[in-house]
Amino acid sequence: MQPLLEVEGLVTGYGGTEVVRGVSFALAADERLGLFGPNGHGKTTLLMALSGLLPVWRGAIRFDGIDITVKTAEAIIELGLVQVPQGNQLFPELSVAETLWLGSYPKRARAAEKRNLEQVFALFPRLKERRQQSVKTLSGGERQMVAIGVGLMSQPRLLLLDEPTLGLAPKIKDELCSAIAEISQQGIPLLAVEQDVEFILALTDRLLLLDHGELAHELTAENRLEQSEIIQLYFGQGALP
Amino acid sequence: MTLEALFYILVSAAVLGSLYAIMAIGLALVWTTLGIFNFAHGAFIGLGAYLAWSLADPSQLGLGLLAGIALALPILVLVGIASERVAVRPFLGRDNLVLVTVITTLAVASIIENAILLTWGSRAKQLEPLVEGTVSAWGIGVSAHEVAVILIVPFILAAVWAFLQKTRTGTALRAVAQNQNAARLMSIPVTRIFALSFALATVLAGLAGIFLGAVKFMSPSMGADPLVKALIVVIFGGIGSLSGPIRAAYIVGLMEAVLTFSVGIYWTQASLFLVMIAVLMVRPTGLFGKRG
Amino acid sequence: MTAARLLPKLYLLLAILGLLGLPFVVTDSYSRHLLILAFIFAVVASNWDLSLGYGGIFNFAHLAFFSIGVYGYGILAKTLGFSPWLAIPLAGLLSAIAALIVAIPVLRLSGVYIILVTFAFSQLVLQLVVSQSDITGGMMGMVGLPPLSLPGYNVVRDGKFAYYYGAVILLLASTVYLRVLVKQPFGVSVMALRDNAEYAISRGVSLARQRTLTLVASAVFTGIAGGYYGAYLRVAAPDAFGLGLMTLLLSMLLLGGTATVYGPIIAAVLLTFLSEAMVDFGAWRHLVIAAIMIAVLIFYPRGLWEALTRLHLWLVRRLDGR
Repeated sequence: MQPLLEVEGLVTGYGGTEVVRGVSFALAADERLGLFGPNGHGKTTLLMALSGLLPVWRGAIRFDGIDITVKTAEAIIELGLVQVPQGNQLFPELSVAETLWLGSYPKRARAAEKRNLEQVFALFPRLKERRQQSVKTLSGGERQMVAIGVGLMSQPRLLLLDEPTLGLAPKIKDELCSAIAEISQQGIPLLAVEQDVEFILALTDRLLLLDHGELAHELTAENRLEQSEIIQLYFGQGALP
Repeated sequence: MTLEALFYILVSAAVLGSLYAIMAIGLALVWTTLGIFNFAHGAFIGLGAYLAWSLADPSQLGLGLLAGIALALPILVLVGIASERVAVRPFLGRDNLVLVTVITTLAVASIIENAILLTWGSRAKQLEPLVEGTVSAWGIGVSAHEVAVILIVPFILAAVWAFLQKTRTGTALRAVAQNQNAARLMSIPVTRIFALSFALATVLAGLAGIFLGAVKFMSPSMGADPLVKALIVVIFGGIGSLSGPIRAAYIVGLMEAVLTFSVGIYWTQASLFLVMIAVLMVRPTGLFGKRG
Repeated sequence: MTAARLLPKLYLLLAILGLLGLPFVVTDSYSRHLLILAFIFAVVASNWDLSLGYGGIFNFAHLAFFSIGVYGYGILAKTLGFSPWLAIPLAGLLSAIAALIVAIPVLRLSGVYIILVTFAFSQLVLQLVVSQSDITGGMMGMVGLPPLSLPGYNVVRDGKFAYYYGAVILLLASTVYLRVLVKQPFGVSVMALRDNAEYAISRGVSLARQRTLTLVASAVFTGIAGGYYGAYLRVAAPDAFGLGLMTLLLSMLLLGGTATVYGPIIAAVLLTFLSEAMVDFGAWRHLVIAAIMIAVLIFYPRGLWEALTRLHLWLVRRLDGR
C-alpha cells in the first residue's frame, strides 16, 4: 500500500541555520506516528516545512502520492494535510465560534462544515458552551481544544499536532489524550510532536526520536522501550530519581 | 453663542467627523493587517475625486454622479491592489518594513499625485453634490450634500463592520491581523488578504474624496490635509482597533468645529496637534487603544 | 600597509580634494548652486541617519529641525538684526532645543507611535509658523533674508564661489562630527539600544538619556544647515516642511543606506542632480524619481553604500591578491 505521507531527506532551517538535517520517514494511511525529542532539535521546524510555512531546502515531501515539496500552505491544506496550531497561537480577539468557522476556510471543508462543527462540539462540549467567548478569555486547555477543533473543521486526511499538551495540567492532558484517541479511531491518521513521553506513548503506534535534526531511533510495537529507557536515552543516566 | 451658531457647529462637526471616520478606518485597517502606515492614503482621496469627476461630469463622460461613483470604485480597487504589490509586498519580512514602507507609500503618493496632474491638469475642478440644494429646518439652511454625507457615512461604516464581523473573508482579515502563521495553517491566503485590506482602504479613501470633491475645489494634492487629519484621528483613537478611530473621528470633528468657531481657523490646526501630543503623552497607545 | 587599510584613506583624500577643487572645474553658477543644495541636503540627511539609522528612533520631526533652523535664521538675522555669522550657529541651538522638546513625548512611546507623534510635532510647528504671519510671513514666508557678509568681499556676486566653500566646510565639519560621534562609547551604546534594548538597559545604558542625546545631537548640524540654507537662498518658506522635501531627504537616507553616514551624503548629491537633470520633464520628474526609489529599495535593500562597499572589497581582494 502506498504510504499517505512520505518524507525523503528533508533539510530545512531558518536563515542560514540548518535545523532539520536530512529526515526521511513514511506514514501509512491508518497510522498514528509520534515525533519525540528535546526542545530545539527540529520537531516544530519539521512540521512547519510539512505545512509549507517554511521552504524546503533539500529533499522531497509527498502527500497521497502528490509532490507537495514546493506547494503553498494553502494548497497543502486543500489536499487535507492539516496542522493544528498550538493553543496559545490562535487569534486572541476572535470568538470560539469565529475561530472554528475559519477552520472550514479550505474549499474542500465547506460542504461538511455543519457536520464537522457538530463533531467538534460533541468531542468538546465545553466549547459549545463558550462559543461566543473570545479565545483570550479561555484557559490553556480550552484553547488547545479550540485548536484541535479548528483542525477538524478543515476536514483533515492527516492531522499534524504540535505539542498539544504544552504547559497543561495532568487532568486536562488526560482529557485531550482521550479526545485525540477518539479522533484517530474515526479513521484520521496522526502525526504528533510531543515532549510528554507518557502522553505520546499512549497515543501513537510508532515513535520517531529526533536528535539534533536527525532521526536517531525508531520505536515500534516490537522494539518498544520503556518510558524510563527513553528518558535515559535523552537526558542521560541519573536523570531518573 | 446663539442657537443658530450651535447648530452650524454641530452640522460641521458631523460632516468632518463622517469624512475623518471613513478615512481613518482605512488607515487603521491597513495598519492592523499589514503593520504598516500608509502615506499614500491621501493620494487615494484625490484619485477617487478625479476619477468620479471624469466619469460623471457633463463636460467629460457625463455618466452622472451615481454611475461615476459606481465605476470609480472598481478602478480604485485595482489601484489599491497594484499599490500593495509595488510598495508593500516586496518588503514583507524585512526587518525595516515599517520604515521602508513609509518611503515606498510616500513614493506611491507622489506617483499618483503627479499622474493626476498629468492626466487632469492643475485647473481647479469641482464634483457635483450628491444632492442639490439646501435643507432647511427651523429656519436654518444646510446644504443637502452635507446632510447626505452625514446620513450615508454611518451606512458605509456599518457595511465595513458587517464585512469584518459577519463574512468569513472579513473574519479571516481580522485573524490575519492577529496571527499570520496561525492564519496560514487554516489555508487563509495571507497575501491576498493584504491586497484586499489595501483595496478596501483605497475604496474608503476614494469615497471620502468623492464626498469632499463637492465641498471643496479639487487639486492633485487635495488629500494631503485630510491625511494629516486622519493621522490625528488614528493617534487619538489608537490604531490597534477599528472602533477607536471611528469614535475618535467624530470627537476630532467636533473639536475642530468648536475650535474653528472659537479660536479661528489658524489656531485650530495647531491646537489639534497640541491636544494629540498631549493625548499620546498620557495614553501612549491612543485614547481608545489597547495594544502598542 | 595593505590595501584594506590604505584604500579608505585614499578615498577620503580624493573626496576632500575633489570637494575643494571642484569650483575650479565647475565654473557655471548653476552647477555650483546645485552642489551647494546637495551639500546642505547631505548634511540634513546624514544627521537624520544618526537618529533614524544609528538610533533606530523613527523620528519624522527631522525636517522640522531643519525648518526651525531656516526660520530661526530669518528671525534672528532679519527681524532681530543679528550678524549672520552668529545667527547660523544660533539656528543650530534652536533646533537642538526643539529636539529636546520632541524627546519628551518620544521617550514615552514606541514604534509607529513615534512616527505619528514626531510627524504631528512637525505639523504643529508648521501650523504655528503659518499662523504667525506677522513674524513669519504666513504662507508667503520671509523674503530678503540677509546674506553672509565678508569684509571687502561680495558673496552674492562671485558666481557662488564663497557659498560653495561655506557648504563644503559645513559638510566636512558635520561629517567629522558624525563619524567621531558614532565611534564614541556614546554611539556604541545608542546602537546597542537599537539592536537589543533590554540587554543594553540591563548593562546600565539609560534609554531615556541616550535617546534624548541622540535626538539633540542629530538636530545641531541640521539646524545649522537650515541657517545656512536661509542665508544662501535668502528665503524662509513653509514648503521647507512639505511632504515633498521629506520624501526627498528620506529617500537620500534609505537609498544611501542607513547607519552609514557616507551613504546618505553620496545619495544626496546623486539625487539632487538626478532630480535637477529631469527638471524639464515637469510632473514626469517626480513620477519617475518615485518609481526609481521603489525599484532601488526592492533590489538594493541596504542601499547604495552596500554596493560601494562590495566594490571596495572586490578592489581590496584584487590589490592584495597579487
